[in-house]
Amino acid sequence: MSGLGSWAARRLLLGGAQTAAVVLLVFALTEALPGDAAVALAGDQPDPARIAAVREAMELDRPAHERLADWAGGLLHADFGTSLVSGRPVGAYLSDAFGPTLLLASLTVVLLVPAGVGLGVLAARFEGRPVDRLVSAVTLGVYAVPEFALGVLLVTVFALRLGWLPPTAVGYGTDLLGHPAALVLPVLVLLSRPVCSLCRLVRASMIDALASPYVAQARRYGVAGARVRYAHALPNAVAPAAQQLARTVDWLLCGVIVVEALFVIPGLGTVLMNAVAERDVPVVQGLAVVFGVVTVVLNLGADLVAHRFAPRAEVAA
Amino acid sequence: MSGPTAVAEIDGLTVEVGGRRIVDGVSLRVLPGRVTALVGTSGSGKTTTGRALLGEFPAGARVGGSVRVAEARVGYVPQHPAEVLNPARRVGALLHDIAREQVRGLPRPRRRGAARERVLHALASAQLPEGEALLRRFPHQLSGGQQQRVVLAQALLLGARVVVADEPTTGQDALTRRRVVGELAAVAARGIGVVLLSHDLATVRALADEVLVMRDGRVVESGPAERVWSAPSHAWTRRLLSGTPAPVRRAPEGPRPDAVLQVRGLRARHRPGTEVLRVPDLTVHPGECLAVLGRSGSGKTTLARCLAGLHRTYGGEVLLDGAVLPRSLRDRDRGLLAAVQYVFQDARASFDEHRPVLDQVARTAVRLRGLPAARARAEAADVLGSLGLAAGSTARAPALLSGGELQRAALARALLARPRVLVCDEITSGLDTVTRRDLLDLLAGLLRDRGDLSLVLVTHDLDTARLADRIAVLDAGEVVEQGPARDVLTAPAHPFTSELVLPAVDVQVGAEDEAAAVGGEERHRLGDLLGAPDPAERDTGGEL
Repeated sequence: MSGLGSWAARRLLLGGAQTAAVVLLVFALTEALPGDAAVALAGDQPDPARIAAVREAMELDRPAHERLADWAGGLLHADFGTSLVSGRPVGAYLSDAFGPTLLLASLTVVLLVPAGVGLGVLAARFEGRPVDRLVSAVTLGVYAVPEFALGVLLVTVFALRLGWLPPTAVGYGTDLLGHPAALVLPVLVLLSRPVCSLCRLVRASMIDALASPYVAQARRYGVAGARVRYAHALPNAVAPAAQQLARTVDWLLCGVIVVEALFVIPGLGTVLMNAVAERDVPVVQGLAVVFGVVTVVLNLGADLVAHRFAPRAEVAA
Repeated sequence: MSGPTAVAEIDGLTVEVGGRRIVDGVSLRVLPGRVTALVGTSGSGKTTTGRALLGEFPAGARVGGSVRVAEARVGYVPQHPAEVLNPARRVGALLHDIAREQVRGLPRPRRRGAARERVLHALASAQLPEGEALLRRFPHQLSGGQQQRVVLAQALLLGARVVVADEPTTGQDALTRRRVVGELAAVAARGIGVVLLSHDLATVRALADEVLVMRDGRVVESGPAERVWSAPSHAWTRRLLSGTPAPVRRAPEGPRPDAVLQVRGLRARHRPGTEVLRVPDLTVHPGECLAVLGRSGSGKTTLARCLAGLHRTYGGEVLLDGAVLPRSLRDRDRGLLAAVQYVFQDARASFDEHRPVLDQVARTAVRLRGLPAARARAEAADVLGSLGLAAGSTARAPALLSGGELQRAALARALLARPRVLVCDEITSGLDTVTRRDLLDLLAGLLRDRGDLSLVLVTHDLDTARLADRIAVLDAGEVVEQGPARDVLTAPAHPFTSELVLPAVDVQVGAEDEAAAVGGEERHRLGDLLGAPDPAERDTGGEL
């Protein structure tokens, strides 16, 4: 068991290093803007007075390493700096927008796991039979439809034609839980492709596991069918599925720009879009750091899960 | 028949797959507390018969006859116990599920404890006293021996009256074999009928009460073990039991032609700094067979890989017809690639499982000799035929061929390049005695018929080495002795060689007694000679 401990410690250290690299990279990319951040911010009509003001606000006259130290130091106690456009702290933007995104993401994951795994197991159980053909054909078909197209289609049918659900979340602010009807379509759109990829992955791993000698041994010794499938075969499909799930959650948490824009949900994706449009560099930097850290943390978690369920595999650490 | 009631009985079993009878009219009775052995080469139908007791048949099989088994389920111990242990679950998972079924009748609060009790009892009966801790481990954290005992514990927990053990000792070293024999004997002593499927004759002899000799799906001879051994009535049984080694070839007289392959000052490394092999000088003459003899880990495979261009990190040089061979395969042109061919130990892994064997064999001639596809196929069919493989079987996918057949196909594939030197890496290990002998005869035939083809036989097996004209003995990366085969085998000069040569002959017949008679250090050595991975590598759990 000390093997697992030292492995986890090494993996955590690596995660820390990756986070630091993300922070450095984000800073370096901003530095690499042509001219400097102030010129980029000034946009198409460069006004020397505005450029000078921005330079002062961002203290661009100081050497880069000092600014990096300041900024990174601020990050350590959750100080992301100040927005150039509104003057509000970047942290406030992030915390306001995080709620809706987190809500969407968690709802999606809560539905995604049982749906994806259940369909995958079902298809694997009836491999090559009509049920499997149907599941495989539908998942492949849905996977081929991009989010924006599916979103527009669903809005047209269920909101505009039938009038069952609101077409967007306009007017509900960040209090989406109070208006569950507004969440149905966005969550459906978010679910569509991850369910398909997860289902196909689970199906493939389950088919292998169900054909394995250890599953044959469990059947031979009288273990009931459902228990064989879920307790003996499925754990072998968990490792690859966990990695896939981490990528999906990452994608969900990093603000699904298309979906949030389509349904006008004030999440991280919307904040990112606005900040880019307004060239609000500190907000973009803050978002980049948050997205980077989320990615590192989720993959760390997925590696731990994979390590537990594929204990023999040398998961890169 | 009289005597005790059989716990399992097979009567006139026939199993037909794709129009081919793989089991033809087999009848057998399994008596409680007795060991019934099905003996035969691979492909003789013994595994299909054993599986029939479990109620399992190949996909799409037509089954005739009857299989009757006593009330409880039948236990199964496969050749590789790790196969039936779920890599993603702890060892206790299946044991708990089996026990849970059995405590259904108890009131709910008492079930858990009762199930646990049963599991621990089964583990203790299978000689795993440290059960508690073991249950929480993953299969890969157990030694090979512990894995096997866990699988036995599953069968005991099940309350099986019959246990089918499929090749439990094949490819194991002498020490492991002895342990497995002891465990199976203990299972039989509990009144369980054991069905042993094996081509490992030493194990069968040590364990079996009844022996059925199978060939091509039929039982050719059956009876009490002692009778079958002392007075085999069928010619096939006599052939199976006989151990006549191939004759020692005599080195050709007179002046030698120039060397075809020469090794000069070779020092091979694996990682920077770790030198694993030193061969100052080694020569192979045209038409000659050189055996490289040594235990596992002695560096003999590394030497073979250096010759073939598969191992690049070495100093010194390898010369073909006096010219230096490039170290890497990639730097050798077609002619050089064709000149030195390699046959791998694991023939099955060296074939693409999705393409017919014939196509893969023919490909060599297309790639290395530039033949058109049709001519290459014709020539491939010829060579395969000359090695005793009929066109019908080679047109199929590798999975449908036996290990021995595939090894011959691998030989054919290499021969199609018209090589000057053929390097064979342990190609006879893992084969049953009869198949091994056939393959050795085949190699002897090649040496006789293909005048200047030279063989380099890498082996740990003395029977195989007997085929050679000259033998080089490797120990711990050093050539400790080399010379004409007759001299090395009959009058070894180096102490290591004499150690290697003397006990092995007896071990072939009575591994058990021999292993018991020698000390621990010696056992490892014998284990290696018997064709096994080093016990130290397998038993990682530190149980001895």
